[in-house]
Amino acid sequence: MFGYILRRLLLNVFVLWMVATMVFLALRVLPGNYAVAQFAGANLGAVSDETIKEAERELGLDKPVLDQYIEFMSKAAVLDLGDSFRTKRSVWSEIRGALPYSLELGGLIVLVGFLVAVPVGVISAMKQDRWQDYLLRGVAIGALAAPVFWTASIAVVVVLAFDLFKIDVTGQPHLWEKPIDALKWYLIPMFAGGLASTANTMRILRSQMLEVLREDFVRTARAKGLDERQVVIRHALRNAMLPVMTVMGLTLATIVGSQIVLEQMFNIPGVGRLLFSSIFLRDYPLTQGLVLLTTFVIVTTNLVVDVLYGLLDPRVRFA
Amino acid sequence: MKENYWTRSAKRAANRRQFLGGAAIAGVGAASLGLVGCGDDDEESSSSTSPTAGATSAGSSPAAGTSPTAAPAGASPKKGGVNVVQSSNVYETVDPHRTVASPVLQVLGRVQSKLLYFTNPNTGELAGDLAESWQTPDANTVILKLRQGVKWQSAGPGAANPAAKSGRALTTDDILYNINRQKAGLLADGSKGSFGRKAYWSNVDKIEATDASTIKMTLAKPSAAFVQGLANEFNLIVQKELIEAVEGKHTEINADKVIGTGANILTEWVPGKTISAVRNPDYFLKDKPYLDGTHWIQTFEDPTAYRIAFEQKQADSFTDPDPGVVTALNTSNKTSTYLRYQGVANTVAIYLPSTQAPWNDPRLVKAIHLAADRRQLIQQLHNGLGKSSGPVSWLQEAWAITQKDLDALPGYRADKTADLAEAKKLWDAAGGKDVGEITWVVPDTWASRAAWSATPEIISTMFNKAFGTTQFKGKTAGYGEIIPSWSSKKFDPFFGWIPNVEIPDARTDMTSAFNSASPGNIWGVNEPDKIDAKLQKALSTLDTKEAQTLMREVQDLVLENGQYGRVIMYNYINPTLYWNYYQTTGPAPETGWNFLNNGLSTLNEWINTDDASYKGRPAPTVKSL
Repeated sequence: MFGYILRRLLLNVFVLWMVATMVFLALRVLPGNYAVAQFAGANLGAVSDETIKEAERELGLDKPVLDQYIEFMSKAAVLDLGDSFRTKRSVWSEIRGALPYSLELGGLIVLVGFLVAVPVGVISAMKQDRWQDYLLRGVAIGALAAPVFWTASIAVVVVLAFDLFKIDVTGQPHLWEKPIDALKWYLIPMFAGGLASTANTMRILRSQMLEVLREDFVRTARAKGLDERQVVIRHALRNAMLPVMTVMGLTLATIVGSQIVLEQMFNIPGVGRLLFSSIFLRDYPLTQGLVLLTTFVIVTTNLVVDVLYGLLDPRVRFA
Repeated sequence: MKENYWTRSAKRAANRRQFLGGAAIAGVGAASLGLVGCGDDDEESSSSTSPTAGATSAGSSPAAGTSPTAAPAGASPKKGGVNVVQSSNVYETVDPHRTVASPVLQVLGRVQSKLLYFTNPNTGELAGDLAESWQTPDANTVILKLRQGVKWQSAGPGAANPAAKSGRALTTDDILYNINRQKAGLLADGSKGSFGRKAYWSNVDKIEATDASTIKMTLAKPSAAFVQGLANEFNLIVQKELIEAVEGKHTEINADKVIGTGANILTEWVPGKTISAVRNPDYFLKDKPYLDGTHWIQTFEDPTAYRIAFEQKQADSFTDPDPGVVTALNTSNKTSTYLRYQGVANTVAIYLPSTQAPWNDPRLVKAIHLAADRRQLIQQLHNGLGKSSGPVSWLQEAWAITQKDLDALPGYRADKTADLAEAKKLWDAAGGKDVGEITWVVPDTWASRAAWSATPEIISTMFNKAFGTTQFKGKTAGYGEIIPSWSSKKFDPFFGWIPNVEIPDARTDMTSAFNSASPGNIWGVNEPDKIDAKLQKALSTLDTKEAQTLMREVQDLVLENGQYGRVIMYNYINPTLYWNYYQTTGPAPETGWNFLNNGLSTLNEWINTDDASYKGRPAPTVKSL
């Protein structure tokens, strides 16, 4: 097992290097750079070629791309991601400021996803091919098909229409500071993101449940006279959850993607919003750092899920 | 009955659809909101005017305590309150002399003063800011009398900076330093810096303090328009001691690097997060500002968040790249909000490389000028919010050809039939069809706005249709490519924003574009008798009417020649929506101001807590001193 983990870790390092190289090159292929982007709101009469060149010099963008790459990789190897072009603060400091918001929202999305997907998946399986199943599956497919921004927009319309509660897009409170205000602010994005991730998980869980419910050990459990609740929760669900865990690990990438949109929409100053604005402004160090961080989180989560899978299911052997 | 969604919705039709449309662009369109050519979103009015009819020969500041002339809702301004506005995404420096971007000035303009300011940015009427009065005895001389008792701020992070001389009196040396610094373009260590206004100040041949409060400037070349430049938003007065201490770290944005003599003191400045400014208790106009402070909130990169903030009164104003979204929101809150319209100073134009083949054939240039359908573009790209501009933009009201006259001129007529026929004739006669593929370059910052993304295709189609050809194509490019190509005069035909509006007086802008010796004349216009001489004469006279006549003659000549390749199209208009409780003194709100209004807002805006729309507004906080 340790050999397997070591191999996966080495593979992850390779993936991170590949991603770092690709994002570095992709950013430089994009037209424009921060030296130009920062003047985009300017009266262009004042923006001379000399002004842009001076800004490029200050940012180190006048160096050959190979030199910039070597500098970036050598710093990244010692976890120095450089300073944001825009704020002149270190990328780590920017991430430290944004990460709590993303973790809060991401955690709430996962929580909503899990809390909705499990009962819905189980009920759908138990009521297979009955109206409840059709209804729940229909809703799940709808949630899967609806873009998160659409779901969130509809919810916003309703909240504004009835003056239901304050969405604190300017105060931006943390959950630990003002839990009620923060929950009101996160409510729509967490449900919009949660429902989108729910749909996939629910459908996998339903099919797994259907498969497990037909297994001999479930029949045995019923034959022993256990009540249906115990059969479903203790015997069937526990076994059906194993593949679902893998799916939930993979869903993380989707959640990260949703968060970019949702953080934009609700002015949540998290990693997704930071990533979007850094790409738009061509803030190379920040974009590179954030993409690396996101990649690290995804590959690490998948490794953890795979390892947990093996631990939970003794039949799984690490090759 | 309390107004709610359903009562409001009864009044609206397309609003919800437009809201969803706004949401659909999910950050992409709105992210460009604070970035590109969107002008200032805090257009304001004035508290007083000191126009002098005809020649701008002299003027004086409004006396301290001058009453405002009007208020939008008839209420009297009162002190107190904090207004909440959206901040910009990018602030590139704390040094106003080294910035070329107005977002920095929207912050610094509240903290630092200028020598003069525009009381009417449309027409160029001036009032004294740090200068108590001014005189221009001839077109080569400007004499300024400084206001007495002005002190640098003595509180706040900037004043606490060990390098700052807080509470020190403003002297003529401060003014001399500010002008000489920019004119020389040098930093304290003797190295060369990038000073955006160097060209303007280079015209100052000699500057001297003739006594403890008087400054005399002698210009190298006569320029009756020079005095207006003193009110340009970039010409803020900085303190030598602090600015020299932070020169090496001027791009690291922080409130402790800023001190001024203005109405507000900056208490925090964290780019992308928050900015706070509070009332300067020692401000030289004792009854101003009305507000206790201003809080800039994080940029909304998506219209949904901005709309939530506005509808729930977390922000006092709302704007959007799609004017339809703004007007729809106004419609749904008709009784509690009002719209103000602001012309965007970055003019939309076509640039043709008329020193290079095939564009060195004037017939092709004129054909493009005639075939360009300005009205179509204003409708398609700006929801009809815009006006055609001649060689002088309509924003420069006192100098532009009137809209009525312009609408009768070839290229600007509503009925395009004659223009298109003439354009096609010229195009064919010059062998336009044989010049091969022609690629329109549109700035990527323009095309990145969702509503304008199809511009390369729209422009290509417009000219393909006009000339019955398929040779026009379109592409996007960054200004990093575009600007250097202008300097070399070898560039692809361009459509987008161009810099032609510096101050309300159009004389210097026109000279920069068309004088045969000007570096800005990238079209190789060389008409010493017809243009250079008239521009020179216009700049030399203090008789404004005579100057305006000369400028009209130059514009007529430019138009006759298809604008020589600098084909000015139009200036569009941005609507901004305000809650009724946010008010400013001055003309009726719908009048608005066109441009160059930074600083006016600081003095004249106030919060009307008695207005019905104020109900339910959360109390904003601002970082105190």
